[in-house]
Amino acid sequence: MAKRQSPLASVYHLGMHGRPGEPGVRLQEITDLNLVQVAAWPDMLESAAKDVAHAIGADQPPGPGHAVSTEQGTALRVEALKWWLLDCGMPTLDAKTAVCLDLSHSRTRILLSGPEASVCLNRLLPLDLRPDRFGVNQVANAGIHHVGVTLRRSEAGYELFIPRGFAVSLWELLVETAEQFGLEII
Amino acid sequence: MTAQRLPKGGHIDRTRPLTFRWDGTPMSGYAGDTLASALMANDEQILGRSFKYHRPRGIMSAGVEESGALVTVGKGAKQDANVRATTQPLYEGLIARGQNAWPSVRLDFGAINSLFGRFFAAGFYYKTFMGLPPFEWGRGTGMWMRYEKIIRKAAGMGTASREPDPDRYEHAHGYCDLLVVGSGPAGRAAAHCAAKAGCDVILVEQDAIMGGDTLSQPDNTSSLQEELSALTACGVRLMTSTTAFGLYDNGVAGLLERVTDHLADPTSWLPRQRFWTVRAHATVIAAGALERHIAFGDNDRPGVMTANAGRTYLNRFAIQAGEKIVIATNNDSAYTTASDLAGSGASVTMLDSRREIPFSWRSHCDTAGVVIKSGAAPMKALGGKAVSDLTTAIRQGNSWRADRNIDCDLVLVSGGWSPVVNLLSHRGIKPVWNPELACFLAPTSEEPILAAGSAAGVWDDAACRTSGEKAALEALELIRNPAYRTAAQTPGNWECPIDPLYEVRPAKQKLKSFVDPQHDVTTDDIRLAHHEGFVSVEHLKRYTTLGMATDQGKMGNIIGIALMADALGKEIPQVGTTTFRPPYTPVSIGALKGRNVGPHFRPLRRTPLHDWNLDAGGTMTMAGLWHRPWFFARSGETISEAYVREAETVRRTVGLCDVTSLGKIAIQGPDATELLNRVYSNPFAKLQIGKTRYGIMLRDDGLVMDDGTTWRLTEDEYFMTTTTAHAAKVMAFLEELLQTRWTDLKVHLTSVSEQWAGVAVAGPLSREVLTACVEQPTRVSDEALPFMGVVETNMREGIPARIARISFSGERAFEVYVPSDFGPAVMQRLWDAARPMDGCLYGLEALGALRIEKGHVTGAELDGRVTIEDAGLGRMASDKKSYVGSALRKRPEMVKDDRPRLVGIFPKDRREIFNAGSILCAADNIAGYGEGWITAVTHSPALGHWIGLGFIKGGHEGWQGRDVVCADPVRKGNTAVEIVSPHMYDPKGERMYG
Repeated sequence: MAKRQSPLASVYHLGMHGRPGEPGVRLQEITDLNLVQVAAWPDMLESAAKDVAHAIGADQPPGPGHAVSTEQGTALRVEALKWWLLDCGMPTLDAKTAVCLDLSHSRTRILLSGPEASVCLNRLLPLDLRPDRFGVNQVANAGIHHVGVTLRRSEAGYELFIPRGFAVSLWELLVETAEQFGLEII
Repeated sequence: MTAQRLPKGGHIDRTRPLTFRWDGTPMSGYAGDTLASALMANDEQILGRSFKYHRPRGIMSAGVEESGALVTVGKGAKQDANVRATTQPLYEGLIARGQNAWPSVRLDFGAINSLFGRFFAAGFYYKTFMGLPPFEWGRGTGMWMRYEKIIRKAAGMGTASREPDPDRYEHAHGYCDLLVVGSGPAGRAAAHCAAKAGCDVILVEQDAIMGGDTLSQPDNTSSLQEELSALTACGVRLMTSTTAFGLYDNGVAGLLERVTDHLADPTSWLPRQRFWTVRAHATVIAAGALERHIAFGDNDRPGVMTANAGRTYLNRFAIQAGEKIVIATNNDSAYTTASDLAGSGASVTMLDSRREIPFSWRSHCDTAGVVIKSGAAPMKALGGKAVSDLTTAIRQGNSWRADRNIDCDLVLVSGGWSPVVNLLSHRGIKPVWNPELACFLAPTSEEPILAAGSAAGVWDDAACRTSGEKAALEALELIRNPAYRTAAQTPGNWECPIDPLYEVRPAKQKLKSFVDPQHDVTTDDIRLAHHEGFVSVEHLKRYTTLGMATDQGKMGNIIGIALMADALGKEIPQVGTTTFRPPYTPVSIGALKGRNVGPHFRPLRRTPLHDWNLDAGGTMTMAGLWHRPWFFARSGETISEAYVREAETVRRTVGLCDVTSLGKIAIQGPDATELLNRVYSNPFAKLQIGKTRYGIMLRDDGLVMDDGTTWRLTEDEYFMTTTTAHAAKVMAFLEELLQTRWTDLKVHLTSVSEQWAGVAVAGPLSREVLTACVEQPTRVSDEALPFMGVVETNMREGIPARIARISFSGERAFEVYVPSDFGPAVMQRLWDAARPMDGCLYGLEALGALRIEKGHVTGAELDGRVTIEDAGLGRMASDKKSYVGSALRKRPEMVKDDRPRLVGIFPKDRREIFNAGSILCAADNIAGYGEGWITAVTHSPALGHWIGLGFIKGGHEGWQGRDVVCADPVRKGNTAVEIVSPHMYDPKGERMYG
């Protein structure tokens, strides 16, 4: 199998950037994204939710705006009728319940972490990221520079899912913005 | 005015001396100074020249309302004009100069304008539109075009740099429970009260340091620091150098943070300014009040400023602004200034226009040595370029009479206070005149926005703190209970009522008294406007330009309104006030744009093959947001030579083109077929699995929306392609149909434009190329993959691929789609196969040439005015089913025979060229809109001459044998052309099907 090529390959420069000292922000691309969309039929939503939970080995599926993560994978509820499954491959679902679609190459997954991650992200993204408003495993669809992005807060930081074609453009903005906090690209 | 820095005191850091240059002269100041305070400490008096008359101007205030000390800071690309020296923090190496003057503000030849001042009264500029009397009376304004340039050159303010702005700016988003605007006593009290109650509070201060009016009071540094520490300990987020410039819907506030404007050598990673959008549940406006002037003769002379400014320079910057000081007031507030200045050793004379003097101040002033004159006011400031004497006036009944002169070097004026109600006004709240306090106050808002402190007309320091706490508690209640109704604050707290004095004008005295110094609007201008028939304050504003300068009326509006009311014989409430609109203070264009400049002016969309295309020598062009390869020039080739070679190669051997930007939509579900059959004008119900079909989609009104191919992958799954330009529109339209009209259909749509990289393999040898690149060549044989066939197979190395045999070029061709991350690897493999066959890479320009030869339409033709018949595709449209647009496409106007139809265009003389956008006219009637238009042109490598596509009434059948002219009057002139079938090359499609 051929090696996958990241859209960021030519602009991904490891190391420290901007303000010297301890980095306030860290950026990391999580390559080889494995992303499957599960889209349920309205009358089969409950059944589809159980299938989603089963696919990642969770007791409960994530509700709207939330994610559930297990050792088998992660499920994000991205729309009223849609989930995204990460890192668990294509589930076997009854077509009468939901349809699945491989979107692994459609998004670029970036992890943004560090003590200034929220402040940095709010320089670009209009979401209330205060911990009591957007906690771990919360999910939102928002926009950076007019481009729709999906955001999940995990224990490790913020995961951004950016449409692949805009990845370089938004990466450049993220890097430029993060430099003032001291940026480490890892 | 003889200003001097005092040996101690103030909120300046004497351990950090700073040097700066003013008009080329090196000077020094301290950290904590503003440019104005540093210039004052250096005894610089003339800092600017006025807009029209070029009168010398000095410092008139200590804040954002400044109208005299407007200067240019920086140089070259970083030159910033019209900067208020009173708000510009001093930094090491700052360079500033005066503006609107030549050769300098001290000696300005433009001051000759003052001699002709009587000709430059209100409306002067508008009157010049009437022409030069008497020569042009009634005959237009030909001369105006000439003297307009002279007028514009003679008047004005600072000059912006013509170089691109080198600074960075950024946007930011903030969220809080309570936003407090202003860090004076009321703002600090509100923030502390709310934070202690558990609120998440942001406190913004436009000044470089926190404190507001407290900074203008005698030494209180330690107590202020304690208070600020307490705020921080409560979790209040303090933002200095940040102006709340506007309030908007739903608790949104616009803030401008000046991040590096105070730094000598800012680091490259910091933005110069930050444009904040803050969303707050409630807002407390504790923005203070602005002290007003009083209009009297030559009240713009350097050495005349507001009383509180004198106090600010004394207590905050440790500068005694004069030695012999006259303070003119109509209210109590100036007495604190008199007391402080007398305490610093200055000689102070108080002129109080009121007959009654505040009792508590009488003995205090006696002790301090302040001479008080009641019933007295300033009449005219005398002196050369700065004040040296003041002619006073005394009350005589209801008028004023000239009195004696007082020797002085500084005149401080307090004409009352105007609460800063601007932000509340932004929310549509009409301020109401309070006659007791002689100011506009904002009534309570129906939104959770509350005024506190002097912004609510509360003057006393302790009362301001109480007012701030009250506002905070009410804000908390409003957050909990939006239906809660707040009570108005109790304004006032003066011992003696204010005397509503706006102008001192003894009878028979010819005075030039300024109302709006920035725009040189005088009291006589206001009266002239009234004399010429202006009665509305909005009209007055526009005719005189009162309040239209950079301070937006902060210094002069109330005086202007009062004088207008007087002229009309009305009260101020009857005249009203103009509407305050954002921004409160100027916001730079750079801050509005943030980081969306240069290459990030709009988000760039790159295909997975972007870097591969560049490495292969591609020149890119924009197609919407996409970067697409335009052409692949060989060494020494022009764009024309390159695309002609590319198109010719495609017809001769094979070419590869990145077509990733085409829109791609996954359509899944048991009703997917039904959806497609309803949205496409041609039948889709019986499309077989493994087949694709070209489809035309109409809008509801029957006009063509888009075209593309849709591939049937399984019983319930399709893969739709759209044009690059209309991808988002088609996706949104289909979603709208499913969510609003056809909610019973079980169909899911997902944009997969980013999931798949696409390559067109076109030309007689395309199958050979493909065969070399797939794992199972039999899957792409003629039998397995005929024209309009689809297969899902693997490219070599196990890369999954979707391949359809479809053609945009008119040659045998395939579209190959692979998951995006594999795009470069697959493209390299295809290229490795095509290159030995004398194949080529081709770009958008060759793609255009090939499709024009074939008469294939794109967005250039499908421009929203075209029916399916106009595009020559009417036979595709089904008459046996109902679909979107099927009824309205048959309206009489849509089926007229003389509608413009798609045609091909050849030049009569095959050596001629012509342009897209030209008008097609009958040769004997080259006029008006003509008979049609040209949408696309190219040099056709296959035909050996220029060809075009376009529309002409009646189509090519109607113009056979008739003379037609391609009219292009702006660019090229007329070219004789002939109208032909749009299918100009291989009309039977033998090459495509073969």
